[in-house]
Amino acid sequence: MTSRIAKKRGEWINRDKPLTFEYEGQTVQGYEGDTITSALWAAGINVLGRSFKYHRARGVLSFANHDVNAMMTDGVDTNIRADVWPVADGMDIKAVNTIGGVLKDKNKYIDYLSPFLPVGFYYKTFYKPKSLFPFWEDKIRKAAGLGEVNFNYPRIVKPKKFAHCDVLIIGAGLSGLSAAIKAAEQGLDVIVVDENKQAGGSLTYDYAGDQTTADTLTSLLDSVESNPNIRLITDAYAGGFYGDKLVPLVGKEGITKVWAKAVIVAAGAFEQPPVYRYNDLPGVMMGSAAQRLIHRYAVKPFDKGVVVTANDYGYRTALDLASIGVEVVAVIDMRRNGAPRQLAQKVRDKGIPVHISSCIYEVIPTSNKLGVKAVVMSPYDDISAGADSGHTVRLACDGVAMSAGWAPAAALLYQAGTKMRYDYSVEQFVPDELPEGVFAAGKVNGIFDFKARQLDGQRAAAEAAAFLGKTVDVVTVPKVEMASPSHPYPIVEHPKGKNFVDFDEDIQVKDFINAAKEGFDNIELMKRFTTVGMGPSQGKHSNMNAIRILARIRELPVEKIGTTTARPFFHPTPIGHLGGRGFHPHRYTAMHEWHVDNGGVMMEAGVWMRPAYYQYAGRSMSAMEAVQQEALAVRQQAGMIDGSTLGKIEVYGADATEFLERFYTGKFSKQKIGESRIALLLDEAGVMLDDGLAVRVEAEKFYVSTNSSNAATVYREMQRNVQLWGLQVTLVNLTGAIAAMTLAGPKSREILTSLTQADLSDAALPDGNMTQAKLAGVDAKIMRVSFVADLAFEIHVPYKAGLHVWKQIMAAGQSHGIRPFGTDAQRLLRLEMGHHLISHDTDGLTNPFEAHSEALVKMDKPFFIGQRSLKIIAKKTLNKKLVNFVLEKDFTGEMPNECNLVIEDGNIKGRVTSIAYSKYLNRVIGFAFVAPEQGSPGSTFSIRTDSGAMVKATVVKAPFFHLLDNNGE
Amino acid sequence: MQNDIFKSPVAFAQAPLKPINGFVNGMETAIAIADKAIEASRHELLSICDVSALNRFGVKGPNAAEWLAAASLTLPEAKNSWTLQGKRELVLRLGGSEYLIEEPLNSQLVAQLNALPVNKAGVHKVIRNDASFIVSGKLATKLFSEVCAIDLSGDALEENRLVMTVIAGVSVTLLRQMLNGQSVYRIWCDGTYGPYLWKTLLGITEEYGGGAIGFSFYYENN
Repeated sequence: MTSRIAKKRGEWINRDKPLTFEYEGQTVQGYEGDTITSALWAAGINVLGRSFKYHRARGVLSFANHDVNAMMTDGVDTNIRADVWPVADGMDIKAVNTIGGVLKDKNKYIDYLSPFLPVGFYYKTFYKPKSLFPFWEDKIRKAAGLGEVNFNYPRIVKPKKFAHCDVLIIGAGLSGLSAAIKAAEQGLDVIVVDENKQAGGSLTYDYAGDQTTADTLTSLLDSVESNPNIRLITDAYAGGFYGDKLVPLVGKEGITKVWAKAVIVAAGAFEQPPVYRYNDLPGVMMGSAAQRLIHRYAVKPFDKGVVVTANDYGYRTALDLASIGVEVVAVIDMRRNGAPRQLAQKVRDKGIPVHISSCIYEVIPTSNKLGVKAVVMSPYDDISAGADSGHTVRLACDGVAMSAGWAPAAALLYQAGTKMRYDYSVEQFVPDELPEGVFAAGKVNGIFDFKARQLDGQRAAAEAAAFLGKTVDVVTVPKVEMASPSHPYPIVEHPKGKNFVDFDEDIQVKDFINAAKEGFDNIELMKRFTTVGMGPSQGKHSNMNAIRILARIRELPVEKIGTTTARPFFHPTPIGHLGGRGFHPHRYTAMHEWHVDNGGVMMEAGVWMRPAYYQYAGRSMSAMEAVQQEALAVRQQAGMIDGSTLGKIEVYGADATEFLERFYTGKFSKQKIGESRIALLLDEAGVMLDDGLAVRVEAEKFYVSTNSSNAATVYREMQRNVQLWGLQVTLVNLTGAIAAMTLAGPKSREILTSLTQADLSDAALPDGNMTQAKLAGVDAKIMRVSFVADLAFEIHVPYKAGLHVWKQIMAAGQSHGIRPFGTDAQRLLRLEMGHHLISHDTDGLTNPFEAHSEALVKMDKPFFIGQRSLKIIAKKTLNKKLVNFVLEKDFTGEMPNECNLVIEDGNIKGRVTSIAYSKYLNRVIGFAFVAPEQGSPGSTFSIRTDSGAMVKATVVKAPFFHLLDNNGE
Repeated sequence: MQNDIFKSPVAFAQAPLKPINGFVNGMETAIAIADKAIEASRHELLSICDVSALNRFGVKGPNAAEWLAAASLTLPEAKNSWTLQGKRELVLRLGGSEYLIEEPLNSQLVAQLNALPVNKAGVHKVIRNDASFIVSGKLATKLFSEVCAIDLSGDALEENRLVMTVIAGVSVTLLRQMLNGQSVYRIWCDGTYGPYLWKTLLGITEEYGGGAIGFSFYYENN
């Protein structure tokens, strides 16, 4: 059986390109341009899915990208929306959320249990006994969700693009297209976007049996196409509204971020269902869904149906149904006055009975509950919302089209900051105060009359053009008297329920009443308790009815209930789209290729790529062994690490010294040229942020280093303070321009001396000093810095020469047993030296007094950042103290980890910040925060390991090398 | 100058392309990446070329403009703009008081500036390590629409303006100039980001059917 009808003018299918696909094991024929739903419906397949909670059979509802009970999987993608997803030849799809297929879903029994599963039941049921919660949680998690995540989903790059325009128009219906043409006429660059495959909005389906309005569409599209100022984008939705009028357009191939100077929202409105028992059966659908099936896809929605309506649109639907030969049994109008005489007569002229002040009391399902057998009509009082169940009439039919009103597609207006008001003349929320540069037109603006919508689009465009500085005549939209397009309360209560408000989550009228009774009578609370609007359609067909029900329960006007918050994205958006290409900038040192070629195991250190350690080709060595060997090389011969990642900043100018004195805690005014000082940076609260070295290069020029991860932050903070203090200082961030390496170990001087004429002796270059000389033919700064070893040289050269110098040193050190070492060994080496790392051994609350850095803080200076706070802190007792500790000799127990807690009498006293086994010392050493009274050398404290074991640690002095001299004590 | 000391910051990122390398201003760089006809077609459609090896000179400070003017340079008047000198040396004004000078081959300007003493307060020579690329082709704006939030098809780069913006997450300086009679985009970024930016831009360029071209496509290296 096929429901495909004769070719319709403007249909979206290509009958020249038939195709076949599999649905639940059944071969189905469709055409290019069909959606999954239209092809299935044309093939007489009406069960398109199962509902989320009760596993009820569902068919078409909106046919407008929020039929969330008709979601499919093709084995790769899941939750494919059948109502909008195009069919493809050979596609093999199944409905999600079923066991055993959509017709024989084994979970359909849940529907029979529904009286025992009201909303919120699991909140109240499964929280005790507590011991059973994991069991229930597992069951609920398995039952919840739609579709299965495909963990083998291929990485398909969805590039993000940027686009710019003067005016972005969201919605290419009558208002949007009219706005686009008007704006483009003013010379403005216009982008119009529509989520449908083709532009036109309701001009492509809402014909009331007469397609003359399609002429308007043809004319509009001709104008758009011929205007070079207009870019029309279809099959993409505006996902959200962000600052500076940034609107991401989400298409199949990715996101385009549009920056517009003005935005016109002409997004239309979502049709809303009346609520009555069994309004969810396959065959019951929105009037506009039926119209779309007919006119876009040439599919007959049903053979014999009724139209239930609470506005004039149901009459238009009835005329469209009749025009293709559907036997319309009745138009059931919930309103007491019905439609205007002319429209009602037009329907009656087709032989369709019209029943005003009537409703569908319930739909009678077929015996298998997979379709419609009849409807039960009853008198209805639309003021009291009362159905007279004592006087019912049964009308046999196989489908229902329903129209109760519209909810504005105003999500982006809300996100833009629009203040909305409830307009009783149209029974919907409309914009009251729009943000600057944002305009609304058409149905979303409460304008429903055909001519008025066209004018409203032009009006919005004229206002946008004026906003952008164009001189343009004002367009006035005359007020059109017409019946409200929406019904204030299209709800029919039924003692047996199953009158669904939210089709995503199977929420019935009684669920709202119960929620209100339990105190969840605020729209936000009700949303969370009932989950209304929290399903994949995000309340597009349910929020408005929920608000109306709550207003009725609380006896408040609708505007007092308000709406829930609209957040991006407007539709669920694939993570891959959000990720885009996944730009992930990395910085590479000049020596990177050498590290890679020589077994460097590269890791991300912030934005930098650094070798953690070196794994030589042909050798099998654990990371731990490699690190220990690298560290031993430094202690016994020589090792070299790539330190290019250090922040390097030149500070120069007449006020350079004054600047450093204010910026850092130390003193620099008497520092000699060639000397370095530790540069400790605090924040205003006295918290340690960074430490580096400040070398005086010239009288008014310093070369300052920072921690690798802090270079940008420190430089930015320097720039800010230079301006703030008004000092004559120029800053240059040389982090990327200079390559640096540290050669350390007893042989380091000898190695280096072979490559330079400079005198590197202790006398000529004592610890903490710097000299500038040629090294391997390159201008270099050579500094004595004892961070990882007592004898170590930091070598700074231009980046472009970094690799050359590195190679020369490695070659020169070959005979001395030189080894490269990575960041892991560096951490161990500095630990052995007793040097803490800021941000690793300290946290966002640590001040210098707690981290034995008092000597670096010159409180007698007139000012430095954080000094005021330190003065206050100094008067208080310390909360914690960073200490060096060792575990017992030959410790063989469970190794504590960083962040393991220091516990005393069951109380937390601190935590381990660094810990490592040192092969050189043959001892486990570390840093920990402890209580101040535990901080003196010789004190012991207990560390609780991951398994809960307690490990004894002893506080010792730094550096740890005395352990070698004193028999490990 | 010893020829094996300096390397282009993007050299290792270019290695998979197996370029013909040569030395430009003492820096090892990719001279040619494909044969001339292929490079020409890439140039027409969409191409990227590493010109990090060009000599550059940086200077900064409140008196930098005065110092450069004394060295007979014509400076851009507006902030964030650029101008050309007699031998087509580029002078970029980066913000208010910082300048970047880049010379083509056969110019001595950078050497002359390096040799000039700075005996004046408020002038500071800046060591540069730029990765520098030329992007050309009719699809260039498509490439930029994927990596840059600024509308480069508009007037952002008109009238010798330059923009300091972010491309694929990296801070860059960007301008459009006529080079060898054709409009091209110039990009400078911190050299440590060079390999990443090169790989990222080249990846997208190749998706559009374009590719990399060598230094000698623009500059005859002797």
